[in-house]
Amino acid sequence: MKTVLAIENVHKFFKVGFIPKKKEILKGVSFSVAESEIFGYLGPNGAGKTTTLKCILGLIFPDRGKIEIFGQPHLEPRAKERLGFLPENPYFYDYLTAREFLDFYAQLFRVKKDERKERVASLLNLVGMDRARDLQLRKFSRGMLQRIGLAQALVNEPSLVLLDEPLGGLDPLGRKEIRDIIIRLKAEGKTVFLCSHILQDIEMICDRVAIIVDGKILSQGPLTDLISEKILFTEITLSGLAAKDLAGLGESLSAHGGRTLIKVFHEEKIQEILDLVKNRNAKIHSLIPRTQTLEDLFVEMVKSQ
Amino acid sequence: MRKNVSLILILCLSCLLFMGLKLEIDKVSRQKIPGSSIIYIPSGKYLKMVTFGFSSLMADLVYIWAIQYFGNTTIPDKFDHFVHIFSIISELDPRYVDPYEVGALIALYDIKDVALSIKLLDMGFAKNPDLWIFPLEAGHYAQLYKKDFPLAREYYKKAMDIPGAPDITKRLYANAAFKVMDIKTAWETWLEVYETAKEERVKKIASNHLYNIKATVDIRGLRSVLEKYKAKYGRYPDKLSGIVAAGLLLFIPKDYDNKDYVYDPKTGDVKTAVIPWKR
Amino acid sequence: MTIKVIALNTFKEAVRDRILYLLLFFAALSILVSRILALLTVGDRAKIIKDVGLASISFFGALMAILIGTGLVYKEIEKRTIFTLISKPMRRHEFLLGKFFGLVLTLLVMLALMSVIFLALVFFHTFSVEWKMLLAILYIFIELILITAVAILFSSFSTPILSSLFSLCFYLIGHFSWSLETLIKKIPAGILKVMAQIVYTILPDLENFNFKAEVVHGLTIPPQVLLYSAAYGFLYTVFILSLAILVFRRRDFI
Repeated sequence: MKTVLAIENVHKFFKVGFIPKKKEILKGVSFSVAESEIFGYLGPNGAGKTTTLKCILGLIFPDRGKIEIFGQPHLEPRAKERLGFLPENPYFYDYLTAREFLDFYAQLFRVKKDERKERVASLLNLVGMDRARDLQLRKFSRGMLQRIGLAQALVNEPSLVLLDEPLGGLDPLGRKEIRDIIIRLKAEGKTVFLCSHILQDIEMICDRVAIIVDGKILSQGPLTDLISEKILFTEITLSGLAAKDLAGLGESLSAHGGRTLIKVFHEEKIQEILDLVKNRNAKIHSLIPRTQTLEDLFVEMVKSQ
Repeated sequence: MRKNVSLILILCLSCLLFMGLKLEIDKVSRQKIPGSSIIYIPSGKYLKMVTFGFSSLMADLVYIWAIQYFGNTTIPDKFDHFVHIFSIISELDPRYVDPYEVGALIALYDIKDVALSIKLLDMGFAKNPDLWIFPLEAGHYAQLYKKDFPLAREYYKKAMDIPGAPDITKRLYANAAFKVMDIKTAWETWLEVYETAKEERVKKIASNHLYNIKATVDIRGLRSVLEKYKAKYGRYPDKLSGIVAAGLLLFIPKDYDNKDYVYDPKTGDVKTAVIPWKR
Repeated sequence: MTIKVIALNTFKEAVRDRILYLLLFFAALSILVSRILALLTVGDRAKIIKDVGLASISFFGALMAILIGTGLVYKEIEKRTIFTLISKPMRRHEFLLGKFFGLVLTLLVMLALMSVIFLALVFFHTFSVEWKMLLAILYIFIELILITAVAILFSSFSTPILSSLFSLCFYLIGHFSWSLETLIKKIPAGILKVMAQIVYTILPDLENFNFKAEVVHGLTIPPQVLLYSAAYGFLYTVFILSLAILVFRRRDFI
């Protein structure tokens, strides 16, 4: 598998405060992203996600370490030709209309005039902004800005797309749409690098992840490798049994409307409950085994620091 | 809306009150400290440094201010800094001609000091040696208001030598020379004017002057000889030719037009047959 | 090519800035007010109008260059619109130069407008179109180009208020440095004098572009002076822009 992005031992200090004190933000970050995968970059706020991203893009210069994009040093304009970037909380030239905005960026990539029109139109279509194409960006809602930002990131038909919190501030429908677009990008052979702290979405679409906490990569690898398939507990919703009957079998989480929700940690106890239900003619409404989620892993990692 | 009504009332009332108050304050006269309107004026050199490239505009503004200032009748000893103010304007924009000229006028009519007028024009000339207007006007001031013909003559000479000076400068110079009895220069200059004159009118003027000069010299000479005759013979001769007969003069000069002078044997006066300027 | 794209975009942005029109309004106002001022003078009325007109164009032009220039780069950094630009295959100097040329183009248009108003007013007074005024205005433009470069230099690392202050200082020093020459003459020969002379030659001398007085009085300016002044402007601008690019290149955009 071709490596599209490789980061090796990147360190970055910032001088903070009136009497400048050196603060290390990135403490030796290394990871790599392979072609045609969706890579998730997670971490709590302040961990260094955006800093890493800015190092990759040449907005910040690392003090130590190497970054390569498509096998070339990351600052080379040729490397940037195939890159697309959507920043967090994007701000754009608000006096431009959506169409002018995309046209401007297309010009920066030296896309020829006739081709530009077509591409701008298809991008607007892709992100669902056709209706707003002559509207000034200053009038856009947060969600609309996010979409037009995504369009801007794709204006040069990049091979590697870097997205910083692309799903932030969107409603559930918007999130679904963006997720679908990202999956489609992968299907087209593009690589997507995604910074986020909305773990549910990451879990849904990412192939591999890296977790950064306090400037250090704590773990990285395919999602399936990181999250064990082990069942942590089973949640059973039932009715017809009294609380005392369930004592000792598990943790009773809630009981109202005649229904009890119980969290069972031991496998044998599940069978016991099922027997009890059958014997007493009670009713099971649901039985859901819960495996480790990314959130669980994440919280564990952060807490261990 | 109700809230705002009282506020608007207060607004209008206070406005009217302070407007009226202003009119009252203006009426009260405050004792003027002599020269108080100019607390301290820096010299032009230093002022130029803080104009940041707008020195000629500054010159205009100081000039406009100066005109108002010197026109203001209520300020005592306003002329104390007269030269200083005009020298500031000169430093800021040495080529600005109006201030020198108008300053000279103010010096003449308001300060009644012709020497000051000429001083200002000298300042202008020092900064602009190519402008003939300054010595020409200085000559005028010297001649008309000081009746100082030697001085006027000097200035006319300076003006005359500058290329582009009007023809009249030469004539004024010649005239001034005559007035100081520098006959030779006067004669030569008038001759020059006559020969180089492009207009008939100027030629006529020149020849009138030449006539006048000859007449003056001739008459002076004749008069002194006539006095000698009287001293010798106790009376004036009956005819002018008498002095030739007496051997006191070789010949009787004719005037510039080759006509005779008019002689009055009773008084010994010699006059020209025509008035030089009405030939 | 990239520079041209950024420049045109900057031009569009600057032209929408209301400050520009406010300053244009004041410039036009002062040019027309000079008409009234001229009534107070004794003698040549046209001189006052020309002096005020040229001074207005120079002053308000400088204000435009400083007020808009100091916001140009800073706004992009503050609003983070710069992130999407720098991450494109664009060299950092192309961004700066694009901003620079965009503003210069804007100033050219503004200056042209002010010149038209000015020449029209002069025409009403002297009944001739005084094309010579354009020579002074041309060199005012060269001065403005230099001031723009300085504004952009400061804009790339400082807040608009501080940048404006620094740019203003540059302007004041530029119009003051000529007087240091007389001061230096008084220093006895020695190392202090040499150092002072070096400082004197390195400080900007914006008086080199000041032909307002000569043009108003109709004096001829030796072509050598014109040529040297233009070259001085060009070289100093190159110097300032290089400085700006140097600072901008190694800058972290946090």
